[in-house]
Amino acid sequence: MSTIEELNPGLKDLGRYEYGWADSDVAGASAKRGLSQATVDDISGRKSEPEWMAKLRAKALRLFDKKPMPSWGSDLSGIDFQNIKYFVKSTEKQATSWEDLPEDIKATYDRLGIPEAEKQRLVAGVAAQYESEVVYHQIREDLEEKGVIFVDTDTGLREHEDLFREYFGSVIPAGDNKFAALNTAVWSGGSFIYVPPGVHVDIPLQAYFRINTENMGQFERTLIIADEGSYVHYVEGCTAPIYKSDSLHSAVVEIVVKKNARVRYTTIQNWSNNVYNLVTKRATCAEGATMEWVDGNIGSKVTMKYPAVFLLGEHAKGETLSIAFAGEGQHQDAGAKMVHAAPHTSSSIISKSVARGGGRTSYRGLVQVMEGAHDSKSTVRCDALLVDNISRSDTYPYVDVREDDVQMGHEATVSKVSDDQLFYLMSRGMSEDEAMAMIVRGFVEPIARELPMEYALELNRLIELQMEGAVG
Amino acid sequence: MPLVQKETSTGVPVSEDDKALLGVPGGRPEAETTTQVVPDTSRGERRRSFDAADFPVPTGREEEWRFTPVDRLGVLLADTGAGGDLTWSTRLPAGVSAREIGAAEARELSPMPPADRPAALAHARSGGALHVDVPADAEIDEPVRIDLRGIAGQAAFGHLVLTTGRHSRATVVLSHAGSGAVSELVSVVTGDGSDLTLVTLQEWDDDALHLTQQDVTVGRDASVRHIAVTLGGRVVRVCTNTEYAGPGGSFDGLGVYFADAGQDLEHRLFVDHEAPRCSSNVEYKGALQGETAHTVWVGDVLIRAAAEGTQTYELNRNLVLTEGARADSVPNLEIETGQIEGAGHASATGRFDDEQLFYLQARGIPEEEARRLVVRGFFADVVARIGVPDVVEHLMEAIDAELALSMGPVGTGALADVVTDATAAEPVPATS
Repeated sequence: MSTIEELNPGLKDLGRYEYGWADSDVAGASAKRGLSQATVDDISGRKSEPEWMAKLRAKALRLFDKKPMPSWGSDLSGIDFQNIKYFVKSTEKQATSWEDLPEDIKATYDRLGIPEAEKQRLVAGVAAQYESEVVYHQIREDLEEKGVIFVDTDTGLREHEDLFREYFGSVIPAGDNKFAALNTAVWSGGSFIYVPPGVHVDIPLQAYFRINTENMGQFERTLIIADEGSYVHYVEGCTAPIYKSDSLHSAVVEIVVKKNARVRYTTIQNWSNNVYNLVTKRATCAEGATMEWVDGNIGSKVTMKYPAVFLLGEHAKGETLSIAFAGEGQHQDAGAKMVHAAPHTSSSIISKSVARGGGRTSYRGLVQVMEGAHDSKSTVRCDALLVDNISRSDTYPYVDVREDDVQMGHEATVSKVSDDQLFYLMSRGMSEDEAMAMIVRGFVEPIARELPMEYALELNRLIELQMEGAVG
Repeated sequence: MPLVQKETSTGVPVSEDDKALLGVPGGRPEAETTTQVVPDTSRGERRRSFDAADFPVPTGREEEWRFTPVDRLGVLLADTGAGGDLTWSTRLPAGVSAREIGAAEARELSPMPPADRPAALAHARSGGALHVDVPADAEIDEPVRIDLRGIAGQAAFGHLVLTTGRHSRATVVLSHAGSGAVSELVSVVTGDGSDLTLVTLQEWDDDALHLTQQDVTVGRDASVRHIAVTLGGRVVRVCTNTEYAGPGGSFDGLGVYFADAGQDLEHRLFVDHEAPRCSSNVEYKGALQGETAHTVWVGDVLIRAAAEGTQTYELNRNLVLTEGARADSVPNLEIETGQIEGAGHASATGRFDDEQLFYLQARGIPEEEARRLVVRGFFADVVARIGVPDVVEHLMEAIDAELALSMGPVGTGALADVVTDATAAEPVPATS
């Protein structure tokens, strides 16, 4: 295999260029495939970042080199780190057109009833999308009145450097794991949110509103800070499949929930099924704070994602609701992590997964109660539904208790759709497909009802699509 | 300009171990040839072999050793050639035979090779095996007793083969006591339609090290109850692996453990459902008291694609009685077919319910007695399912003795016998 370095011997020297990055129009290393110090310097240079960030990126790249690939979970041997574009300018992104999309994705868009303008926006991130721009500005004005900062992460670094620097990497340090290190080295885009003390943001903030800025990056970095007593609900992603030609998506999401604040973070992930989706998400909760993850995984080839809550203050609370669908060729290795590091903390994890068509779903979780976290409570419930003979479902819950005064429960059930259920529905005139889809909808309903309405509706349609032809 | 290959993209050297895993400029030549990068996709892919050289010396970082204090087990993990082979003393009811067999015959009789290094060493170093056989159609009411006493300062290795014939019924009690370091491989093969209850008692002295792998092959339509009772020992690790030779088999795994300060008690179960219409039901209960008391329970279940109609449930409950104790509980479930009857597991860890204590105290029962009753009640249902009267009686006494360590001696009041009577009075018939 020849890599970019072999093909372009001069590339190595780019990193040694001593006079900064004067001409950003010259295609730098980052726009090409491959990862090196030059790639990282180039990304940093293009963004005219402060020196500390450039240094942090360089450090993270060294950590990435040193960290081993995970020896558990999914098969990641298909990832070739030297064959990935680590930075794509927004103008290049828009080159993708409707015609370039694979047929199955186009069909799904049509079936979901996504309007033409929306299609264009989703496909290409059209810059001059008037309506969404207006909506975005309107919302931003309302928020700014309250002192809420809601910008993309690059802007966040430019305009709010002190705040940014205080929290960036404080929840997920660069060396946390191999993919967090990779993200720290090459991150670009994502959301930066700050909610001042006592402010309740009534509408869910959606990445959607500022789609024309760098949003759907491969290595997005989101940082949310909810100050004391505040509330915010952030919605990431969308139910329509996002087609990407590059096969690695590795985001990092850091959330700081301060005293008595509450943050809810909703994700519906539906990457096209060539994508390795390896995401690190973590929140810290101070005294009395609440963090809620609502995590839906539908797309991608492989997803490894375990949203975590570190309960650091007394009476902090963490909650994860997770649903995963795995179809043919997919492995959804999802779960949750709860670390109880203070007394009287509580956590709950509810996971529902459906595997069909030879897909594989795994629940992988960790509940850890540190010494001193007495009177903590945790419940974990994971249910899996199997709809055929060739699919697979695994449950790997880890519990680590180092304190006696705790209550800890874990329960899992794996069941198949019973013939009785199907017969009952079909005797009332439903086709087998419809009946199956209805059973699956009922199975995930406890989580679907936690979604904003438009997402819940789209999720239901997606389930119907997923379950088509599931019974044979 | 000659192309200089740096070791990594950043020029920072990489340790030899990590090389296979890291992308280096010029491709990943090592990564292409190594299989280390791909995690096992199922529990069934773990290596099994009679050759100890196939298992590297554990470091404690491996998945199957991550909870075990391997630094204490050097004498049982290193292939030094030192140490003697185990001797079992047996008390056999009429009809049951026991004889020494050679290593080759032992391997032939054991369809499941060792799954880790100490088990492979146990076979290799014992230079043969003790073979206990229950003949076909025999119905043995009196338990077969196999006793093992470890000797202080000695490392010993042994292989025990237990076979039962078709349509036989027997109870085997394997008890361990004494001191020293013992590594043991127990291979159990049950005949079609047979019924076996195997009790393994670990009542070691405080300094004993004990590693045992107990493999059970359940015959067609056979029923096996495996009962592990672990109370004593510095480090005790009981690994139970179950396979089914044909459809219709049932396996009940019951366990009771009580860890005191300084003890590491570990139970690992792996039920591999490969045959259709089999069932497995695992229930382990443990109590912990004292600083650094540590228990581990790992219950793996794999339902392979061919194992249609499988019914499985695993349960682990831990009761933490004092501060500083640690209970790890890991139930894992892997399912490769949708045609199952049902599968599930549950695990819970907590300290005992103060409300129960209050309830009993409100009825005039002194606190100590009340605590004892709560703990006995916690164990009662699993103990009642053991169904071997003298083991049950002995076990309740042993639990009282353990409790006496933290709460003073057992009261002489009539209440002390309440739970024992209740459980002994209801012997539960072997499940079909």
